[in-house]
Amino acid sequence: MSNTLFRAALDTSLLLCALGLLWRMSTWYRLRIGPDVRDLTLVPRLRALLRGFAAALFTRRAFHVGVALFLDVLLQRRLYRSDKSRWLTHLLIFVGFMGLLLMHALAAVVALKMFTGYESTRNPYLFLRNLFGSMVVVGLAFFLIGLRRRRRHTLHAPMRRPMDAAFVVLLGFVLATGFLLEADKIVSPQVFYRMAKEFNGSADPAELKPLRAFWASEFGVAFDDLTAPITPDLLRQGRAMHEADCETCHAGAASAFVSYPVSRVLAPLARVLDAGQAPTWLLYLHVFACFIGLATLPFTRFYHVLAAPISLLVNGAALGRSLSGAGRAVRRALALDACVGCGICDAHCSVAPLARHLDNRYLLPSHKLIATGELTRGRLLQPGHLTTGAGDAAWRAAEGAFGCTDCGRCTSVCPVGLDLDDLWQSGRADLARAGLTAPAQWVQARPALAWAESLQRDFWPRSFFDPDARDAPLSANRSSFSRCVQCQACTNVCPVVAYSTDPAYGVDLTPQKVMNLLRLGMRDLAMGSRMVWSCATCYQCQEHCPQGIRVADIMAELRTLAVQRLGAVRSHKELS
Amino acid sequence: MSSAAATRYDVAVIGAGMAGMAAALFAAERGLSCIQVGSGGGILFASGLLDLLAVHPVAEHRLWQSPYDALAALAGEQPGHPLARVDPTSIRTAFQSFVAALTSAGLAYAPLGDRNSNLLTSIGTVKTSFGVPLTMVAGVDALAQRPPCLLVDFRGLREFSARQIAATLADDWPDLRHQRIDFPGFEAVPEVYAVHLARALETRETRERTIALIKPLLGDARAVGLPALLGLTRSREVHAAFEAGLGVPVFEIPTMPTSVTGLRLLGALESVVSSRGVTRRQLSSVRALTFDYDTALLQLDGLPGGERISARAVVLATGRFSGHGLMADRQSVRESILGLPVQQPGARDAWHQDDFLDPAGHAINRAGLRTDEVWRPLDATGKPAWKSLFAIGSILADQDWMRAKCGSGLAIATAWAAIEQVAQPLRETQKP
Amino acid sequence: MKYALFLGCKIPSRLPAYAASTRAVLQHLGVTLVELDFNCCGYPARSVSRDGFVLAAARNLGLAERVGLNVLTPCACCFGTLRHAIALLDEDAALRVRITTALAAEGLAWSGTVEVEHILPVLARVVGVDALAGAVRAPRTGLRVAAQYGCHTLRPSNVARSDNPLAPTIFEDLIRLTGATPIEWPLRLDCCGDPLHGANALLSEQMTRAKIADALASGAEVMCTACPHCHLRFDGVQPPQTETADASIRTLLYTQLLGLALGLPAKSLGL
Repeated sequence: MSNTLFRAALDTSLLLCALGLLWRMSTWYRLRIGPDVRDLTLVPRLRALLRGFAAALFTRRAFHVGVALFLDVLLQRRLYRSDKSRWLTHLLIFVGFMGLLLMHALAAVVALKMFTGYESTRNPYLFLRNLFGSMVVVGLAFFLIGLRRRRRHTLHAPMRRPMDAAFVVLLGFVLATGFLLEADKIVSPQVFYRMAKEFNGSADPAELKPLRAFWASEFGVAFDDLTAPITPDLLRQGRAMHEADCETCHAGAASAFVSYPVSRVLAPLARVLDAGQAPTWLLYLHVFACFIGLATLPFTRFYHVLAAPISLLVNGAALGRSLSGAGRAVRRALALDACVGCGICDAHCSVAPLARHLDNRYLLPSHKLIATGELTRGRLLQPGHLTTGAGDAAWRAAEGAFGCTDCGRCTSVCPVGLDLDDLWQSGRADLARAGLTAPAQWVQARPALAWAESLQRDFWPRSFFDPDARDAPLSANRSSFSRCVQCQACTNVCPVVAYSTDPAYGVDLTPQKVMNLLRLGMRDLAMGSRMVWSCATCYQCQEHCPQGIRVADIMAELRTLAVQRLGAVRSHKELS
Repeated sequence: MSSAAATRYDVAVIGAGMAGMAAALFAAERGLSCIQVGSGGGILFASGLLDLLAVHPVAEHRLWQSPYDALAALAGEQPGHPLARVDPTSIRTAFQSFVAALTSAGLAYAPLGDRNSNLLTSIGTVKTSFGVPLTMVAGVDALAQRPPCLLVDFRGLREFSARQIAATLADDWPDLRHQRIDFPGFEAVPEVYAVHLARALETRETRERTIALIKPLLGDARAVGLPALLGLTRSREVHAAFEAGLGVPVFEIPTMPTSVTGLRLLGALESVVSSRGVTRRQLSSVRALTFDYDTALLQLDGLPGGERISARAVVLATGRFSGHGLMADRQSVRESILGLPVQQPGARDAWHQDDFLDPAGHAINRAGLRTDEVWRPLDATGKPAWKSLFAIGSILADQDWMRAKCGSGLAIATAWAAIEQVAQPLRETQKP
Repeated sequence: MKYALFLGCKIPSRLPAYAASTRAVLQHLGVTLVELDFNCCGYPARSVSRDGFVLAAARNLGLAERVGLNVLTPCACCFGTLRHAIALLDEDAALRVRITTALAAEGLAWSGTVEVEHILPVLARVVGVDALAGAVRAPRTGLRVAAQYGCHTLRPSNVARSDNPLAPTIFEDLIRLTGATPIEWPLRLDCCGDPLHGANALLSEQMTRAKIADALASGAEVMCTACPHCHLRFDGVQPPQTETADASIRTLLYTQLLGLALGLPAKSLGL
């Protein structure tokens, strides 16, 4: 291809890539996650960045950074610990791709400088190129197989963006065109004649006959006009010509252990391909696909190649949680980019069974991370969210965020070393500020009476069959509490009532009053009461009740009912 | 737990009211292996006072200052009454043993003599009882001598009004004054609960603040009466601190149930019973009870999969209606576990007198299980339902413990007597 | 003696010393512990969804059932929750059908054969107080210790079945055998306050501070815990005290106290 075109395309792609990177990386300094870093503007963050760099390079942290670079970025130790088969898959793609990148794509700046006598058609480079390419292909195959297997087993796969699929397709396309190009060049008579002209001086088929014979039998070129039988003598002649003009640059084609077999398939079509200028447009396709990949790098999966190592190195330098506020702010925003959506966190999540049961994927880390991004970009909450149906996604996200048990498994298995613990805590704080809180908070934010009135006004058809009988059997069944004689034993042994000496945070009812509400058929009023939601479930009440009423169990049931019922009416205008 | 299922206990006590607790305690003290099923929740209603016998005959509401004289009269006039069937020496021993056990668990009583004591109740009436906790003893003297005395109550404690007590006794005790104070730390809440206040008084700071609030109100008072909330597990210490801080005798007045005194008593009894090796199943109940020659088999619920217990003897201490030992529908009364025949009025309309407050009480309150001379309940043929099944406490027929003021006496005495039987070596002449 | 060790969510990330000391002590006593890929016991879901919490718990039981092991947990909250789920599955037939169907989709089953044990009763009864006392090499003589039972080791008693809920002695017995002196303190059976820290932080704090003050006033030098929630609460790692701290108290896990008494190196106990 023409040099000018090549350069122009390359420069454009690089520029687009750089602009895209600037844009993406700017979010690390713009996004604010967590109330503790809310007031940190751009300048402190940049200062933190510079200080971080300096620290990383010039203090003893440099050692840790180096270790992180070697173990975590190159050897992917974290991934190895979390999932060995995926580590293998990734390693294949990683090594294969880096090999192709450095040795093949950047041959002019890397390979030529490092290895004297580099020629792309010589061994070991020919072999290596095929090896690297096949590693990527095998890796991609493992990846796709693994993906299918995981999809079958988990109910909630990590969210796939269209760009992710596009990138895999692009990568496959680059490899396919690369192998096809090499295969076509192997069989192409046109290419042969061009090379012969350049290195032998002649393009005359008759003159080149011995060489052609040699190349046809040893290198697989598909001449369709090589009529005369190929005698050993002819081959000897051809070999002599080959040794004179070609050998210095050409290793045996069989070393191209992928392209050569492919070329055998293409051989019958050699003339057609030549007529259609296949070598040329395959090259264009191959190179432009690479350029497209480069230009779109900041917006595809490929971005992780930069974001993930930076994240790993930042963690290596951070030595745990000793980051300043600005450092934390950067690291949290960085996490949103560095996440590759691998879903290893989801596979280890302690509350994954609950996510399946509640059909709420926001309980799973990979989705929580995306929701955190949406929240901080102001996309999770719409104006007037609390009063419109659009708030449902926001509330689902909150349910997911507050359902987390902070077990820390996701953080320890994350291959990219994201500090998910910190992200969840700060995310929850942000949600709370936006009014999206855990049930215990949003219920207790309104008086029980307000909730009860709202429920009365809302749909609730009082049916003949109590729908709570299944999910809250004790509170739906009179016999569970009808024996209550209001003796106040439960109230007297309740520590929550004992310490409710300040009306500001004390409870509004007592356990025996809650039981009485049930006896009066006023379950709605009980559901929204502070007593039910400040119950410590310490079971003193149930242990002491002279009538054997399961007071604490009933309280727990009322809470589950409240989450459903009050959740359905919490967007009422009157309650905002 | 599987270890319970594998053991064959000497005795299984069904019920954890006063009778059940007494039976478990006595069994353990005699070295019998014992399992006790049922919640002690009913004891939460106790005042801490141990009645033996105070009223006889019930219809005349005649009060006795000597319970043993009353017992003698009872034995003469109502020989079928359960208390009349236990000899007084045993009753004396049983009470001593019971009270000694409570004292060992930190709940001390005044020494038991031959006399009943009179004390104030929280509504200003006078109750005659036998066993008096040490924290209430000064009230006995105060009621007898009627010196200038201050009664203190706490704002928000709805079950206790010092003013009401003083008003009720105004004619008899003119020097009885009353004052209301805010309990320190609870000033901001409209309603307070006795147990929480009792726990708070186990903190020195709260104690001192309360004493400081009362002291200026003493005037010439030579005794101070408070609702019974001077501590929960450390009532002796709290009571002593109040007496030291105020410089006068201090007495507790039993409050309405559910009360601090009930919780103290329950805690002490559970502690005593457990420490003597009784296996407890508080939140279980007996779903089925069967007998296989010399072994009783109890099927318990409350645990996943239920639990099977075997025992050499069974003591039925399941109480009356509130404890569900007896169940009534509109027609008749039945015993809830075995369906044993319940002695009861012949017709439904004979259950009650027309006047709810009839001094003689109501026939339904005297319904219950009949037993033979060794406390075994009878089946429909009039024979013991099982050779080693015993019935004690308020489930027994021919007694009206509320009106006779003999609840604890009935429980403790019959428990003692039944365990005596259980402890006897296996008898060859047992009728099946 | 072989158990599936259930650590729950709090211990691995927030209190690894409990895992370390549990393993160290049990290994020393000849108890084999097996690690399974357990999920959260379901406690946080109790206020959200009854079926959800039972399913989460039952899945853990199913995993243990598959390898034929009983579950041992050092977390009292997980212990109570798992046992509660068993009790509900036992009494609610419709629930049982729903849950076992859901488990079957994953190839798991619940037949009620798996027992869930908390570490205190296992030490006291399965290993045995006498056996433990005999193994003590470095008695903690003179150390005055407050036993923090927590709630779920004792209540409700038909679920916990560890000791008399109103007059337990099991924890004091275990402390005494290490040579330390268990003290009496009035609030010993009270909740530590941790379950409330999200719902009502001020109330929660009141409960915690009252317990610490009571233990100190009763002469305790150490608060001994058997649950990571109680421990983290008293250790001050959980929500900071908003007013001036009355006092704090040195907090020790029972496995750490026992480990020290058995002569195990402090480091292996996370100290």
